[in-house]
Amino acid sequence: MIGLHHYLVVSAALFSLGMLAVLTRRNAVNVLMGIELILNSANLNLVAFSRFGSGNLQGQLFAVFVIVIAAAEVAVALAIVLTLYRLRRTPNLDEADILRG
Amino acid sequence: MDEIRRSLPRFGPELALMAGLLLVILIDAARPRRRDAVNGALTLLTLLVALVLCFPLHGWQGEIFSGMVVLDPMAVFFKMILIAASALVLLAFRQPREMAGLGMGEFYALLLAVTISNLLLATANDLAMLYLSLEMVSITSYVMVAYLKGDRMSNEASLKYILFGAVSTGGMLYGLSLLYGMTGTTSVPAIRQALTTGLANQWPAAPYVVAIFVFAGFGFKTAAVPFHFWCPDVYQGAPTPVTAFLSVAPKAAGFAIMLRFFYSGMAVRGAGPWDLAGAVDWPAILMVLSVLTMTLGNVAALTQTNMKRLLAYSSIAHAGYIMMGVVALSQNGARGLLVYLFAYLFMNLGAFLVVTLVHNQDGTFDLRDYPGLYRRAPLLTAAMAVFLLSLMGIPPLVGFMGKLYVFAAIVEKGPSYWWYAVVGALNAAVAAYYYARILKTMVMDAGNEDKPPFRLPMPDQLVVAGLVAANVLPLLWWTRIEQWARSSLSLYAGH
Repeated sequence: MIGLHHYLVVSAALFSLGMLAVLTRRNAVNVLMGIELILNSANLNLVAFSRFGSGNLQGQLFAVFVIVIAAAEVAVALAIVLTLYRLRRTPNLDEADILRG
Repeated sequence: MDEIRRSLPRFGPELALMAGLLLVILIDAARPRRRDAVNGALTLLTLLVALVLCFPLHGWQGEIFSGMVVLDPMAVFFKMILIAASALVLLAFRQPREMAGLGMGEFYALLLAVTISNLLLATANDLAMLYLSLEMVSITSYVMVAYLKGDRMSNEASLKYILFGAVSTGGMLYGLSLLYGMTGTTSVPAIRQALTTGLANQWPAAPYVVAIFVFAGFGFKTAAVPFHFWCPDVYQGAPTPVTAFLSVAPKAAGFAIMLRFFYSGMAVRGAGPWDLAGAVDWPAILMVLSVLTMTLGNVAALTQTNMKRLLAYSSIAHAGYIMMGVVALSQNGARGLLVYLFAYLFMNLGAFLVVTLVHNQDGTFDLRDYPGLYRRAPLLTAAMAVFLLSLMGIPPLVGFMGKLYVFAAIVEKGPSYWWYAVVGALNAAVAAYYYARILKTMVMDAGNEDKPPFRLPMPDQLVVAGLVAANVLPLLWWTRIEQWARSSLSLYAGH
């Protein structure tokens, strides 16, 4: 029988993988994919808690809003990555280094 | 339907801002001649109308829109501060040289959008609303930072801001989802209810874990250590009007929601308004973060030569001082926070304005190009001196009052807090050094004799004079301002 804990373990794994991608990837697009994993792990939590825990729909509603926000965030982020790519011809983050000190 | 009809009259400022935002977008899209001037005036008018609409809200307390948003005297205070911040940025930075050649219509629209989301963030009463408004502030800020399309610095700053912001708010969201799981509700007062009655078979460290995740979001918005890494790069790369705006408005909104979250989400009912639920020693955690924030900000600012970067580190340090008001977790602490934010608005915007005016004239943000400024522009240098002394916290200026109130709130907590006040005072001394270094460079150092005389357009002179007055004069009416802050202290905390 699959219960709340299975979902929580999957979600924690997703969160960790997302964090790992954010911390280790050089390519900005890969980092964005890691961020998506983090947001979706929270979504999974919300929906699982809503289904198995509290019995109310607040968590599922929250998850719908998070999906919308994630789409908006990625749209803006990809636009910036694209502009920066046009200016520098590379998507790598460690070459974005004119601001330092 | 009844709920909406009941709530709308209490939502006046936000509705006015939304109407203004739509109009600005429509006018900009219709491309009439002189649209930038029309839109600028319209944006300013919208902000002023919204500010006026805040006055009748004072004194009312309760939830609106089915508990999504809360309205209380403190919310009204923050609404006024946030709208005033946007209006001042609009007035002070009218045609900066950095943004020459780019249409201003989108900038005005973004400014209004971020103002609306700031207001919502400062009044959020539900985890979903909190996250939604926090992201709305962040996403609009990302676009504002990248406003200089062809500029590598601006885009790089925005990319760093997005990636850092998305990870911090993602962590916060994960924490919020766990908080929902623990308490079974997303309404902040209901969460407090659940925490107060005690949670059955919970792992005792769970609230700590949740709190650390949630603090990532607050720390990101207020640029507190260890979530400050974006701050210097973003402040340096963004156009200066955006930098000035980011350094006051979203920071104030972040502190508003931090205070609200701890007060109405975590405090124990009946045990005194500021006793927090659970076994978590909140003041200790926040105190350590606050000490780290102010120390790191001040020490890193010592060696900076780019003025925007220097002011970025200085604003990190100020976030540390403002957090003292949260650490105190008392009425006086909250009052100190309000007074400090009020002061910070005028002194920090003033400093950024002078930096922009120097850039408009000389095209430089480098402190090493500032020598001889006193001979070329004595009045502007005097104004900068007022802003810097105010940031230092020198007595007759408004910055001193901010520091006075937060330090007093800490000292009265008892001897176990005194070391914290001493660390704060030592930090203020370190800060005095680098502010004084700017003054010395402008006044005492010689150089730049061959540069053309400094021309300051009349409107700029007026704005600078106004900001100087806002730093010097509030002390004359201090009882009024203090009363305003005191009457704003009441927070809605559920039934």
